[in-house]
Amino acid sequence: MSATETPSTAPAPEAAIPTSRTTSGPDLAKIVIGVVIMAAAAAFPFVVDDTATVRMVSLGLIMAIGAMGLNVLTGYTGQISIGHAAFYGIGAYITANLMIEQKLTFLATLPFSVLICAVAGALVGLPALRVKGPALALVTLGLAILVPTLLHKFGSSGGVALWKPKRSHLNSPVDALTNTQWKYLVPLAALVIVYVLTRNIVHSRAGRALIAVRDQEVAATTAGINVAATKITAFAISAAYCGLAGSLSVLVRGQADASSALAYFQMSIYFLVAVVVGGTATIAGPILGGLLVQILDEKAPDWSGNKVGMAPFILGTALVVIAYFLPGGILGGYRQLKAKLTRSP
Amino acid sequence: MTTKRRRAAAIFAAALMVFGSACTNDDDDPVATDGGNGGDSGNVGDQIEGVLEDCPEGTDTAGIDGNVIKLVSTFPQEGSLAAFAEIAKGYTAYFDMVNDEGGVEIAGESYTVEVETFNDNYNPPETVENINRAFGPDGDGAFAAFSVVGTANNIAIRDDLNDLCVPNIFASTGSPAMGNPDYPWMIGSTLPLYSTEAAAFAEYLKAEMPDATVAMLLQNGEYGDGYEESFNQAIEGTDITVVATQRYDAGLATDVSAQVTNLANSDADVFFNGATLLPCPMGMTKADELGWDALKYVSGTCASKTLIGAAEGAADGVLSASNVMDPSNTDWDSDERMKLYKETVDAWRTANSIEGADVTNGVVAYGWTLGELFVKALEASESASRSAVMASLNNLEVSAPGVLYEEITVKTGENDRFLGEAAKIARYDLARETFVPLDELYDFEGGEAIPESLITG
Amino acid sequence: MDVELFLNQVFNGIGNGVGYAAVALAIVIVFRTTGLFNFAQGEMAMLSTFVTWQLSESMPIGLALVVGAALSFVGGALVERTLIRPMEAKGNPLGTVIITIGLFISMNALIQLIWPPSKAQSNPFSMPKPFPNRGTVEIFGAHLSWFTIWFVIILLIECALLYLLLQKTKLGLSLRAVASNQESSKLVGIDVGKMLMIGWGLAAAIGAVAGVLLASRTNQFDVSMMQFILAYAFAAAALGGFDSPLGAVVAGFIVGVAEALAITYIDAVDGIPIVVPLLLIFFVLLFRPEGMFGRKVVERV
Repeated sequence: MSATETPSTAPAPEAAIPTSRTTSGPDLAKIVIGVVIMAAAAAFPFVVDDTATVRMVSLGLIMAIGAMGLNVLTGYTGQISIGHAAFYGIGAYITANLMIEQKLTFLATLPFSVLICAVAGALVGLPALRVKGPALALVTLGLAILVPTLLHKFGSSGGVALWKPKRSHLNSPVDALTNTQWKYLVPLAALVIVYVLTRNIVHSRAGRALIAVRDQEVAATTAGINVAATKITAFAISAAYCGLAGSLSVLVRGQADASSALAYFQMSIYFLVAVVVGGTATIAGPILGGLLVQILDEKAPDWSGNKVGMAPFILGTALVVIAYFLPGGILGGYRQLKAKLTRSP
Repeated sequence: MTTKRRRAAAIFAAALMVFGSACTNDDDDPVATDGGNGGDSGNVGDQIEGVLEDCPEGTDTAGIDGNVIKLVSTFPQEGSLAAFAEIAKGYTAYFDMVNDEGGVEIAGESYTVEVETFNDNYNPPETVENINRAFGPDGDGAFAAFSVVGTANNIAIRDDLNDLCVPNIFASTGSPAMGNPDYPWMIGSTLPLYSTEAAAFAEYLKAEMPDATVAMLLQNGEYGDGYEESFNQAIEGTDITVVATQRYDAGLATDVSAQVTNLANSDADVFFNGATLLPCPMGMTKADELGWDALKYVSGTCASKTLIGAAEGAADGVLSASNVMDPSNTDWDSDERMKLYKETVDAWRTANSIEGADVTNGVVAYGWTLGELFVKALEASESASRSAVMASLNNLEVSAPGVLYEEITVKTGENDRFLGEAAKIARYDLARETFVPLDELYDFEGGEAIPESLITG
Repeated sequence: MDVELFLNQVFNGIGNGVGYAAVALAIVIVFRTTGLFNFAQGEMAMLSTFVTWQLSESMPIGLALVVGAALSFVGGALVERTLIRPMEAKGNPLGTVIITIGLFISMNALIQLIWPPSKAQSNPFSMPKPFPNRGTVEIFGAHLSWFTIWFVIILLIECALLYLLLQKTKLGLSLRAVASNQESSKLVGIDVGKMLMIGWGLAAAIGAVAGVLLASRTNQFDVSMMQFILAYAFAAAALGGFDSPLGAVVAGFIVGVAEALAITYIDAVDGIPIVVPLLLIFFVLLFRPEGMFGRKVVERV
């Protein structure tokens, strides 16, 4: 029964190799590109005047953070989850709750949300020590439905689990920034922090342990890696990222909500699409994927004459096509292409 | 003879209410009297005037582009929830007619009315999303929100719209919370209030089954609470008792078999089916299957052709409360207002926005009524501005607008911002596939039938 | 305890459970043959349901159901051949999960693109009834609906046919051989690929029948019908053991009845009955992954 076997092959082994290659030394061209991208990203809300566009990209950055979280688990550690938006929901509720009940400022809620989600993630990681592969996917699917259901039952006022901090409490505290700019720059800053953090983790001993667990779980054990601790750490980190994304969503969307039991499930799938399309087990891939998914989700109805179902159809199809033809995603594919070109004389 | 006495009592009660409200409310509108002096401040009601200072600058005439007043609505447009989407076809037909005839005249100038609609799947967060998107951070993306469907949906957007001084007009829900004085920029619709429905049905029971036992199926949340509290208040001091209640969760399931089975087990005389959308017909069908021989009452929100039709035989003889002439009832075909409604919707049916509109659907007729009432409010408005239109909506007195029963006058004042305060009990006739109203009109004008907790809730 | 209430709730549970059982059966057949969880099983059934509905516009519903199930068989086999097998060949179990998730999303969306939900505003999708399903049979004062009776009968017929196919035919022998060991089957000359296609086809056809029957239960259906049922069906499959068709069917009824009784007697799940299957999934996978009837699987390195 292959379902209970350990995943024997990495989803994208070819994608991981160039990553480690580039760390061998500082690459001037890379640094320049990085600085240019950063500058462009920071300048974006000052250049683009359209509130809706800035908001869309801002939500894309948030989607990217969630996808980076899932990537730590699925991409690097090989544990599939189709319910990670459950943590996104928990993060959103913690932030909304602390703002409403404890009168905390938005930024002050973030440490709580990240920490609580990390603990929740570690707890969910426990079953993953026993349950593997598709069965783990099933457990996480259950989680994605269970969390909003419980919030609905116990966290709702008037039958709707919708928590809205006061609109003015989400406004920009910096006079020089408009609300729209503030609600873009905060997620951007968070994304940069998460990016640096992920980079450090992946290139550390802990990061190599994640990959070892993914590629050869049994072998990893014999090599002295504590598989249980590694898996639980991966769950905790990924849940913390997703929780942060959820908290940030309250800033941009103005609400934490769980009125549909399937909303988090769909969000989880979108995280997965972002990871697979952008590039499994690459650091920047999920950022690219997250932005693409969000933009597609918002714009597809416009492009298709408001056809219901166009966005999920494109995203679902992209998931199948990319998983099959481009297992390293866009970024992995690009690196493969580049490697091929540089190798040939 | 009981009928006669009951009617006398009702008339007396109604008179008392009107008298009572006249005494307590100083609503002999100052607006109308100093309307002539043209200044902005004098033209608006006290409530609006008071809060106007806190509004974002220069947004009082936002959403009027040239001579086009742009409205925004959001409601479920897909799948089984789409029964509510028919409302828009009714008011769109009315606006199309008015626009075609040159528009609405406000303070000597002609305006046309346009509505942009969004789908929110009846899901409050999506409603918030749509409203945020349509109005933008400063609330100037459109003139007003119009006929947003759902209690929780309107409650989810009321803070933002109120803060931004955006009118939320004719919130399509029977919740008395839409008349909450803390939210002067919001006003409910002509839909009978839950309290009106519950009180009218209680009055009916008092006369017909004075010692009835009642089992209630309710949706979780404000909507279900509204029925329960109003009905309990209305049966206070009578021999009518509620012997069982069961709730279901709208967002999570449509199967209410288990709940109805529990209710049937109480063997109550009356099944108060407060469900809406698909759980409502499923509740009726299940009750029948269980052989539960109870008098059935269904929520006014369920009395649409689509939903009643889904219950098939189980809907025969079901009661509901309503204030519109059911357009599927051919008895009304000779009525002039009904004729205008049917002819207009028929004429505009091919227009894209109301494609497939079914004139015989009561929900469309309700939408039509909202359209007419809004145009009347615009005509009575001192100027084409948000504050003036809101003031006008708070001082309505229109008799028999749209296709409401001709005995009904829609009346609002500063302290009575409720439109749906009168209703008749109607019985569904399966053979004719229509609701046939009973004679009596239960009129609770003045707000006494509304439990206080529901308004401020 | 009130016997009539209890029985009525048990009947409610059977009425829902028969749907869970039917979808669980499809999930288990796929798992047995290919060792995969097909997360798209519910949406494949949904697509079959809409196709059958379209067919029923131009032919009697009984015929439409047969044609729809046959088309679904072909469709299921094609999905296995074109999407699942090439991915399996890459030896990437995560990849196949991702494929079925992608199918879940895109099939649901495809249905909405072909049959726009906005069309249902004034004319809801309404499935003609394959059998008269109004009315009830009274048993000890409780009422069992004809819909439930018919659905159970049809499911039992399916089970009997499946049993005959698997146990009494040569094809069935090959199917069982592939289910228990693909490599050995290959060695004895069984066309493994063909068997995998047949497994997926059978599952799709069973799903199609379940979808059509569920859609005909009420007077209207929409594209979301299968989404919640999928969670229940997976719970049933887990409880029954993922490789036991009989277990799936029995567990389907157990899940349905457990849910109905929980609503009646446990206040904590009032309004959120879906926690019942979810908790079942968690507990079974954690503490008894082989389910009630499944075989214990030894992990290979």
